[in-house]
Amino acid sequence: MRMSGNVWVVLIAIVAALALVALVAFIGFLWYASGYNKAISLEQGAEKAWADIDAALQRRLDLVPNLVNTVKGYAQHEKELFESIAKSREKYFQAGSRADKIEASNELTGFLSRLLMLQEQYPELKANESFRDLQVALEGTENRINVARIRYNEAAMQLNSYAKALFGSFFCKRAKVEPVAYFEATEQAKSQVPKVEF
Amino acid sequence: MRWHIPRLALTLLIMAPVATVGYAQADLPMPRHYVEDYADLVNPADEQSLNGILQELEQKTGAQYIVLTVLTTAGLPIEQFAIELAEKWKLGQKGKDNGMLFVLAKNDRTWRFEVGYGLEGFVTDQYCGRVGREVLVPHLRRGDYSQGIYQANVQIAQRIASESGVALGDTPRIQPVPVRDSRRGLPCCAALPTLLLLLLVFGGFGRGMGWWFLLPFMFGGFGGQGGYGRSGSFGGGSFGGGFGGFGGGMGGRFGGGGASGRW
Repeated sequence: MRMSGNVWVVLIAIVAALALVALVAFIGFLWYASGYNKAISLEQGAEKAWADIDAALQRRLDLVPNLVNTVKGYAQHEKELFESIAKSREKYFQAGSRADKIEASNELTGFLSRLLMLQEQYPELKANESFRDLQVALEGTENRINVARIRYNEAAMQLNSYAKALFGSFFCKRAKVEPVAYFEATEQAKSQVPKVEF
Repeated sequence: MRWHIPRLALTLLIMAPVATVGYAQADLPMPRHYVEDYADLVNPADEQSLNGILQELEQKTGAQYIVLTVLTTAGLPIEQFAIELAEKWKLGQKGKDNGMLFVLAKNDRTWRFEVGYGLEGFVTDQYCGRVGREVLVPHLRRGDYSQGIYQANVQIAQRIASESGVALGDTPRIQPVPVRDSRRGLPCCAALPTLLLLLLVFGGFGRGMGWWFLLPFMFGGFGGQGGYGRSGSFGGGSFGGGFGGFGGGMGGRFGGGGASGRW
């Protein structure tokens, strides 16, 4: 009687311990899966937001030749500016990394705002209907870039802060998710006042 | 280490009011009518008519079109003001993204058409710019806000309706602004990667994984209309028995399309 009682106690203890181990393993697995998936979904979010920026930037690049050609008709002297625009457009196409693309597009933003300012010197350009349409189109793309940029930076911030967090950094390493570059609008691009030469 | 905690607490204490005051955000309650005339610029007859047209537009096409006037955007660029409200209100149907928001800030002398993703293909930036320049601004310069706002927005509402193959019943004859769109298809292409990736994010990782990025839109708060000013005459009974009521946004998304300007 005593013997068999002990056996039962031991058996129950073993089963309970096994169940506990299984439960802990299961919870651990859930925790791991959710952390891992979070890293992936944050990366996807930043990826998606970047695709929007890319589309808006592409849209602007498609506009540039038209815009430059229209302006050329009125302002032949601004060769230097036209060349700079062509160069930074080329630079964007050759840019491999996000950081390079961001740099090139910020550069282009500065030159384009100078191009638009030319209308103050050439009143006929300002009155040209297709220039006005192009200006609206350019403003539209700049605004889209800006909206996409803000959304991307929000997504990037979520990803980057997760990648720095205590467990987040572990999961990001496991999922091979890297922090991403922010898209800062350069102060220079924002406040670049074009030089007016008389 | 010992220094850090009190210093951090102090910083937070000092920064908290700065952060809440300094970060300006567009914040108005969900519209209850299609025309929300906070600046009291549209006369009752025009307001009722435009309200009816925009209601008909939603009934027939699903497009949600809100016309908003305010006294000022309180220092925010009108582009930011418009998109923040459009996002907060989620104008347009989910998936179709056929929302539209017109904002006019009287004292800032600025206006903007904010166009949802789904309408960008035919309510292009150039088109909005033309309606603004050729219909809206001439009226505004004469001080005729009511007709300017009315004509410009009816024009765009009609364009949305005709693109969906419907006619808006008793809309007045308004000389349409000619549309010259060489780049008609482009805006659609611009929205395409978004849709694809949305599918990826929503579809690929199961439910509940992908929607975290909607959170900022969900906790916007609809309280308080801070400082945009509704002049006294609202509620003068121009809407009989809830006519022209707007039911609320349906989850449409915006990407910054449209046009804006000054007068």
